Amino acid sequence: MSYEDFLEGRPAIVTAALTGGVHGKEANPAIPETPEEIGAAAAACREAGVSVVHLHARRENGERAFETERFQEITDAVRERAPDLIVQHSTGGTGAPLEVRRQPLLTDPAPDMASLDMGPLNRYDHLTSENTRATVDALYDLMDERGIKPELELFNSGHVTETYELLERRDLADPVYATLIFGGGTLTRPRPRNFLTSIEDLPEGAQFNTLGFARHQLPFATMGLLFGGHVRVGLEDNVYYERGELAESNAQLVERVVAVAETLGRPVATPKQARARTRPGASAALPAGSGHVRVTG
Amino acid sequence: MTCPYLAYRSEGDGREFDVERAYCTAAERFVQPMRADICNDRYDLDHEVDCEIYRAAEQ
Ligand code: SF4
Repeated sequence: MSYEDFLEGRPAIVTAALTGGVHGKEANPAIPETPEEIGAAAAACREAGVSVVHLHARRENGERAFETERFQEITDAVRERAPDLIVQHSTGGTGAPLEVRRQPLLTDPAPDMASLDMGPLNRYDHLTSENTRATVDALYDLMDERGIKPELELFNSGHVTETYELLERRDLADPVYATLIFGGGTLTRPRPRNFLTSIEDLPEGAQFNTLGFARHQLPFATMGLLFGGHVRVGLEDNVYYERGELAESNAQLVERVVAVAETLGRPVATPKQARARTRPGASAALPAGSGHVRVTG
Repeated sequence: MTCPYLAYRSEGDGREFDVERAYCTAAERFVQPMRADICNDRYDLDHEVDCEIYRAAEQ
């Protein structure tokens, strides 16, 4: 993907990361945590132009949940209100063992997509989300078994290299769909030169999604749109609309990035177009989760 | 064992919630949901090792 894709007017897929697994309503009361809130937020984002929703699960008190049953409640709430959305479950889970992180992949139907963290990420002062190769392979294999498209999350350029390593170990479904993440800490430093290097370094034919944390969300989404990429916005990654002003909702962040795309003349993909772009071998008309094996959790 | 500084509150730190949430009495604020797993020693997490706030409070 490149500036040529922008010039040719290829549709950009907009993903909304609605909730996340780190902060909650203590950071922004608009963060949806219950299945009802997440379902309503997904529908509002669909209305605003989103075709993919990236989902995490929470307990009633906002704390992280990984159980299949909780993901099921959330995914059902989303599919009920916005049936054509592409549902993407997170498999991230700092400090959680592999068995726990497999749980979000076992809903019925299986999610259309799932995130796959491609390596370590420091958290706080004494903690690292390890994401060893063994963990990556195990999660990838379960996604493959269940017909789930992996969204590779690349926290830094080392994880671009890890993508090539994974391609050596596994026959990744075409096209490779990778999210390039820019921000503080372990993430790639959010500077335009690093963005350009990252997109040039991706494997041939890969599609990229652009994620800038906090104040970098809008500038990096704009670069993603200009260089033929897809974009991710939402309260998981950024709780502010402007400096010092909390965002009112996920949809507000989506509306802004869709307005930027429209201003630049970049079409925004419908869910049907997004399905065709992420899984060209599959029927775009296939209902979400069709053909997946039923697994009771 | 959960962290001795952990409390569940619906009010504090200038905020109010319908459901009680994890509150750190050492830092005097509500904690992030991810940190609440450290406070509760869930999964592979251990507040004595993983939480810098606990380590500083105990020094
Ligand atoms: S934040 Fe740290 S010190 Fe505070 S309750 Fe949690 S583990 Fe204990």
